[in-house]
Amino acid sequence: MTTPLPHIPTLRTERLTLHAPRMEDHDALSAFYGSPRASFAGGPMTPGLSWRVLAQEAGQWMLRGFGRWVATERGDDTPMGTVGLCHPDGSPENELGSDLFEGATGKGDATEAGMAARAYAYGTLGWTTLISLIARGNDASAAVARRLGATPKGPFTHGRFGTMTIWRHPSAQGVAP
Amino acid sequence: MIALSDTPTLRTERLVLRAPLGSDWPHWRAFHTDMRAQWIGGAKGADGAWRAFGHVIGHWAMRGFGSFVFHRQGDPTPIGMCGPWFPEGWPETEIGWTLWSGAHEGKGFATEAARTTMAFARDRLGWHSAVSYIHPDNAASMAVAVRLGATRDETAARPHANDVVYRHWGMP
Repeated sequence: MTTPLPHIPTLRTERLTLHAPRMEDHDALSAFYGSPRASFAGGPMTPGLSWRVLAQEAGQWMLRGFGRWVATERGDDTPMGTVGLCHPDGSPENELGSDLFEGATGKGDATEAGMAARAYAYGTLGWTTLISLIARGNDASAAVARRLGATPKGPFTHGRFGTMTIWRHPSAQGVAP
Repeated sequence: MIALSDTPTLRTERLVLRAPLGSDWPHWRAFHTDMRAQWIGGAKGADGAWRAFGHVIGHWAMRGFGSFVFHRQGDPTPIGMCGPWFPEGWPETEIGWTLWSGAHEGKGFATEAARTTMAFARDRLGWHSAVSYIHPDNAASMAVAVRLGATRDETAARPHANDVVYRHWGMP
């Protein structure tokens, strides 16, 4: 018996499917959050805590009407990472974020997923601007932000993650097709 | 609108219990950032409250059941939360409760809510056992467990070393 959040849209890009966070994603998420790769995302952490993170990602959608998706390659159910939109209480504005799991980096997936999430924000949600908050030293995420056309703007002190850099994405007008 | 689907609503003599809604957030925030929430890992600011409430909602999405937010009949203002709770890492299935304001203490609301969610867990979810994990300094919550007829289980596994375990029925 599961009670899904049935109104969360599924997005498809050329190579990826972005689906609502669900119980079946936990093994992959737990492997990521238990590894040193998750050091910029609050990890490494126990499976119990990563289960909470996954539940929180699902819950975000109801709190705000938007949230993160779990990304898979098209035709494959194996989660490769999470990507999406958030605005936690206390955050300066709407954010685009992503985390890629082991083995999923270097193929442009984060960029492709980020573009799909941003297009959803600007198109479906009608947003006009978007930032990404990236921890100092997280070069991989900074490189993705740069490929998405974002530029570093200044520091932000995050309650849990310390000093982060605000990356400003091109405006909705700037990325209009 | 993004909402949980097909969730049950329970009614008692004085209360309505339903799945959490996004509109519960300000009420949860006020509760969870207050010292009242110290026994459940709260009282740590808005960021912690936000993530905790995301977890409360997401628990329903992950498990298909979760804790019910409740209000008094005829007044939709949420005053607490109660019900089945089984996040990853919990040794067994739990019935939990929180009252979000001191103004609602001492009226039997938590006991009344817990009785009906215990029946729901046993009859509708088919639970074979249920416990409550309570912080050893949370006297008010332990009094509720005793009123519900639960007994202390000194040997049961518990998620946090200092939790007191009250057993409602069954064994894992």
